[in-house]
Amino acid sequence: MPYNIAMVSDFFFPQPGGIESHIYQLSTKLIDQGHKVIVITHAYEGRTGVRYLTNGLKVYHVPFLVMFRSATFPTVFSFFPIFRNIVLREAIEIVHGHGTMSSFTHEAILHARTMGLRAVFTDHSLFGFADAGSILTNKLLKFTLSDVDHVICVSHTCKENTVLRASLDPLMVSVIPNAVVAENFRPLSHPGYTADGTAQASGQHNPIPQQVLGPNDTITIVVISRLFYNKGTDLLIAAIPRIIALHPNVRFIIAGSGPKAIDLEQMLERNVLQDRVEMLGPVRHEEVRDVMVRGHIYLHPSLTEAFGTVIVEAASCGLYVVCTQVGGIPEVLPAHMTVFAKPEEDDLVAATGKAIAALRANKVRTEKFHDQVKMMYSWYDVAQRTERVYDGISGALSEADFYGFDAANASSWSASRGRAGVQSFALIDRLKRYYGCGIWAGKLFCLCVVIDYLLFILLEFVAPRENIDIARNWPKKMVNGEKNGEKNGRERSREMRRDTT
Amino acid sequence: MLTTQPRLRARRPSPTTVEYTVSTTPTPTVALRLLFGLTILLRLTLGIAALLLLYSKWALSPLATPIAESTTASAPALFTNEFIWYTIHHIHSSPLGELATELAERTPLVLLLPSALVVLYAIFLRMHTTESLLVLRGLGIQTSTSANTYLSTATTRFIPTEKIQDIFVNEAFKGFEVRYYLVVVVEGEEDVVVVFPSLLPRRQIVETVWRGVRGCLYEPEMSGKR
Repeated sequence: MPYNIAMVSDFFFPQPGGIESHIYQLSTKLIDQGHKVIVITHAYEGRTGVRYLTNGLKVYHVPFLVMFRSATFPTVFSFFPIFRNIVLREAIEIVHGHGTMSSFTHEAILHARTMGLRAVFTDHSLFGFADAGSILTNKLLKFTLSDVDHVICVSHTCKENTVLRASLDPLMVSVIPNAVVAENFRPLSHPGYTADGTAQASGQHNPIPQQVLGPNDTITIVVISRLFYNKGTDLLIAAIPRIIALHPNVRFIIAGSGPKAIDLEQMLERNVLQDRVEMLGPVRHEEVRDVMVRGHIYLHPSLTEAFGTVIVEAASCGLYVVCTQVGGIPEVLPAHMTVFAKPEEDDLVAATGKAIAALRANKVRTEKFHDQVKMMYSWYDVAQRTERVYDGISGALSEADFYGFDAANASSWSASRGRAGVQSFALIDRLKRYYGCGIWAGKLFCLCVVIDYLLFILLEFVAPRENIDIARNWPKKMVNGEKNGEKNGRERSREMRRDTT
Repeated sequence: MLTTQPRLRARRPSPTTVEYTVSTTPTPTVALRLLFGLTILLRLTLGIAALLLLYSKWALSPLATPIAESTTASAPALFTNEFIWYTIHHIHSSPLGELATELAERTPLVLLLPSALVVLYAIFLRMHTTESLLVLRGLGIQTSTSANTYLSTATTRFIPTEKIQDIFVNEAFKGFEVRYYLVVVVEGEEDVVVVFPSLLPRRQIVETVWRGVRGCLYEPEMSGKR
């Protein structure tokens, strides 16, 4: 059953980043599945109004004030009129918000529930519990997620974190990891892909020969990350001189920019390592592969990470991965592709040494990594799992199917749940959910929800539904029954006949 | 009741010419015509009342020169300056005029003058907006938007065919909503020309006009591609 889905986030192209590409890739794949997807984000400089991207993905760049790191100022209700207009004209059924730090997401989920739409939230990051900023963010998250149909997290660690932060029922949180476009991250020796995405015939049948490293061959270690504190740049600064001192034939390539870049450069100058460490500065996402294939080992010293897409990309490029054992990283790659280290200097040096030794002994078949990663991660798979979540919340799947048989039997596991497996839209039920948020916060949130509801009723008078034009869907081409029939049937049912003049 | 949602009317005087008019004028019925007549009467009354008040205020001020007795004695011939003064004097000294004088006496000038001006402006406001698009094959298109008041004429703009790069329907944010609109891209100009800019009719109208313009502006291709 095709849905009309609105992806809402403050973060979207042209700004680079993980959430941005996640939304884009997921949307593209969902469109391929026959759904209709639009993206609602705020206006970027030089990027305003309504735009179309590849595949007919429609992007609404809503003109709003940008406050901090491209997140908009939280104006709880001012977004509602325009959001309602977009949702009605596109006939949206499911609102899917992304990113904890995006106020657009929170507002959209609140308004969507008020309007009687299904809401899904995807969390992409880990947060602490102790500092003032986190407490505030967590309270806001708790507010929004008090009344949401389902939550998606990118890793199990992230799920644990989100469940604790927002006091959620773990059953309504799914884990759907990120993915990579494996075709864009192939190793140097890979024969490449033909236009239709399949590997070229020569590569398919003849296995790629193993690269043999001699004892004196240079091993290149690649680091690509934004140079921030939380990405572990300090750890890197401490570890590089020791690794270089221990292993004579090792070079480093470091790409990325950030506030810690100066510290890194100072370290290089102090130790006179300019000839062995190459600093590339910021690289664009499409150039990442070209940097990665120059190395043998990928070093990822991050201190916190919800998923770590970059290590999947590195493994896909055929690099042996050395990474810190934090956050969701241990879930990402199988053991034979990685060497784990504790997030401390000594252990990182030791782990890198282990990785270099393993490569020199030719014990690691890095040339096989690409095909293995390709089997593990694909956006198509992510889209299908997301689709299942949509099915579950809209009632297409039964509660037992979606949440498991145990959950279906225990009738009391979630208070104020309406029909089996589906959150009730009744205002009183919603208020009950919000009221539980805290002694004062609960009442404040209830007030917000009531005002939101009154605003909704006011808008129905001021801007009646029948005065809003229904937008035309992107015309889809008929697929000439070549691949799988089920997919084609779905597309055909959504086929929009293109009017000829 | 006096205005409707924007409605489309197409006129096709010849196969190569078409005019699309979008306006808020409702279909005229007898009742509506009577109502319009009434509004015109109301406007006249309001206008005369405002002018009378202003004149009374002026007559009260020390700067005013009293109207000469000679002109007020007997009715002079029609269509002379004296006759105008005679009429004004009579209205001013009538019971209605006295009421106006009294009112003018009580109202301070700072209040009277702006409100009278606002009323005078308001009675000239047009009730309906009419916007049109005239397409002439081989020549170009002309957009026109009716003026706000009855005092000025419609603004028109002619765009010759060779300057037209494209005509298409687009969507944009306008206030708290997203609207469809028809645009003409003009060669050598930074901004596009929006057709029906003040009414911004609904999608169906915009699409009809777009099809019509595309069909009429260019010669149908002989090769039968389309």
